[in-house]
Amino acid sequence: MDLSRRAVLGLAGLGAVGTALSVPRLLATDIPGRGDDVLTVAILGNAQDAAARAGLVAAFNELHPDIGVRIMPIQGQDWSNFFAKILTLVAAGTPPDVVVVATEGAQLFADRLAHPLDEYVKRDAADLQDYFDDVNPSLIESFMYEGSLYQLPIDFNAANVYYNTSALEVAGLERPADGWTHEDFLGYAREMGRANTGSFLPFFWTNRLWGGVVPWLYINDTSFLAETTAPGGEWLWDSFYPGETGRSGGYRWLEPNADDPKVFESFDYLRTIVAEGLGSSPAQGGGGELVARFAQGQIGMTPAGGFWVDGLAEGGMTPADYDVTYFPQWKGQRHQFGAAGYAMMSTSERKDEAWEWIKFCTTREGMRLAFPSPNTTPVRRSMCNDAFYSEKGPAHWQVFYDTLDNLPSGPIPAPPQQAAVETALIKNVVGAVTAGSDGGVRSALGTLQRDLALALRRSS
Amino acid sequence: MTAVVAPTPAAAEAPKSAPTAVPRADRRATTWLTWLFLAPTLLGLGLFTMVPIVGSILLAFFRWDIISDPQFVGFANFAELATDPTVRVSFLNTFGFVVIAVTLQLAVALFLAVLVQSRMPAWLRTFFRSAFFFPLILSAASVSLVMAYLFNAEFGLVNQVLAAINLPEVGWLTTDAGAITVVILVYVWQNFGFTFLLFVGGLASIPRDVYEASSIDGATGWKQFRAITLPLLSPTVLVASVMAIISALQIFDQPYVLTRGGPGDATRTAVMVIFESAFQQLEFGRASAIGIVLTLIIIGVTALQFRLSRRFVFYS
Repeated sequence: MDLSRRAVLGLAGLGAVGTALSVPRLLATDIPGRGDDVLTVAILGNAQDAAARAGLVAAFNELHPDIGVRIMPIQGQDWSNFFAKILTLVAAGTPPDVVVVATEGAQLFADRLAHPLDEYVKRDAADLQDYFDDVNPSLIESFMYEGSLYQLPIDFNAANVYYNTSALEVAGLERPADGWTHEDFLGYAREMGRANTGSFLPFFWTNRLWGGVVPWLYINDTSFLAETTAPGGEWLWDSFYPGETGRSGGYRWLEPNADDPKVFESFDYLRTIVAEGLGSSPAQGGGGELVARFAQGQIGMTPAGGFWVDGLAEGGMTPADYDVTYFPQWKGQRHQFGAAGYAMMSTSERKDEAWEWIKFCTTREGMRLAFPSPNTTPVRRSMCNDAFYSEKGPAHWQVFYDTLDNLPSGPIPAPPQQAAVETALIKNVVGAVTAGSDGGVRSALGTLQRDLALALRRSS
Repeated sequence: MTAVVAPTPAAAEAPKSAPTAVPRADRRATTWLTWLFLAPTLLGLGLFTMVPIVGSILLAFFRWDIISDPQFVGFANFAELATDPTVRVSFLNTFGFVVIAVTLQLAVALFLAVLVQSRMPAWLRTFFRSAFFFPLILSAASVSLVMAYLFNAEFGLVNQVLAAINLPEVGWLTTDAGAITVVILVYVWQNFGFTFLLFVGGLASIPRDVYEASSIDGATGWKQFRAITLPLLSPTVLVASVMAIISALQIFDQPYVLTRGGPGDATRTAVMVIFESAFQQLEFGRASAIGIVLTLIIIGVTALQFRLSRRFVFYS
């Protein structure tokens, strides 16, 4: 087809006009809310999760009609993935003002991205006293970094043991005592395995930072990273927790600790469980099938937190079908937990507004709106009550918060180099727990020690 | 004997076109139009291909975590790669994977292409072509997720079938050998379809009379395949192997979803380390350096293939 010059110029002109009209789309400036003078709050989730917070935003706007809020849902398969996407927003020059950050990323954000809340907390101490009175100090300490507070936690999940009541009854076992030991655990697993047939597995666990090997290390009074604490933080402890002793300015994980004999002991224990066929040999990134398998009665026990209650109810389990108890004790009974809270970005030009949002989300009303059902554990002790768990919760739902109040506890080991550290950990776990002998465990832990040292050094 | 072809009357009578000078204005207009038509492609290539490539090369000489300002480190990122055990293992894994997966992919595709091109009803041939190509249009991540369930050691269908026929269960994703096997199988299953189509096209273009002539000379079956099919298909084999190797060197989705590179580093590949370095460990300089090394390897391997092809590719 011959085209005249006039036709070509006309088409080119049309193309230019089309391109010009498409500029808002090409530059993504037509995304609703982008460019508006509103407080941007990034959460891990999808559009439905953002919509579920509409009530929270509306309630906040009743108090602060002058502060517009836009919830920015960001999907990610885990916290690392979510943080990576937040960082790309930072790199693109469109960082949010406030970000939900879990323990996994708390020190990364504190170290590089977040603004300390110290001055705000001191200024509004009277408003916050009720919050601190209601929250276990371990949760607050987990968000301290080098003496400053970077987040006010809103929810948490400690690694407890969920068990299938039918599987327990079939094996003729009673509910484990609160102070059961790791040897008792092994006995329970063996009995359950003997009594339940087919594809039943007494203990199912996943290879990840939360609920993987770490709970077994913590109860054995060790960890794969050496844990120390930073000085400072007295400004907070003295003001809000005057009776509390031994609290610090936050955790430090500076050195690998996989060569600790107690780490070997814990891994070898898990190897025994796997070798006897009592526990799963977790594939990396596994766990997607866990809820369905547990709900179908194919799993006897598994580590999980309060976040599971909703999921099990959706999976068809009634409160009578399962229950929850503490992790067994070994050299101690320290429990692992992960928490989450809003962090204020240091790049935000709306810090005062961001603080009002953070503060509102720590109120009873804010938490009631944010957590209408038990898909996590609210940090406020008073909110973990009969009303919250009456429909779906297990008989011993008190375990969720008593874990913090009655037993020693600590956060997931998550230094600023958490992603590299997590990669180093999970990639060596399977080799260790599926090793044919204790020599194989030692070899895998040797590699883990090397990889952790590299991860901590390279990213520091 | 030399054959002389006489010009046709029409050709003989055609007026000889004398070279005429194109007016400068027309030449300028043609040039202008040429660039105008090329502009969208050049703009796209420049913005979305060249700029990122140049940016990536530059980034390899910096330490950059997105948050802080980039810090020039010269060749330090490259020097660290040489001593990094994870990088070394991931490249070795990638090479091993390429050798096994590409060999399997080509062999399976060729075998099935020959079968499909043999005597069978046209509708059946169409069905097989579609069926073999179908996995390629699926998302690699979705396929890998489903496969992860199938190969789950405790609850997976594959082990249930093995148990049903009294065979021992296998730790498909929890042992080195099992994980490597699954990653290769899933990759080959999903990717052989394209190679298969190339071979089907190549086989269809081999003249039938060559086979008929060889049949008269007594050649059948394997002899025909070795002496006729393979040599005449060699240009297609070259293209297929080049594309398969380039693709396999960049494997990421299957091991990432199935095993996250584990157990240990057993299925960790070069592109996985690039991803982990950049988006998990925030070491964009290191990731770029690994990317450049991988690109150079791909270029080198491809050049070597074309060089060696002179010995085994027959174009006529």
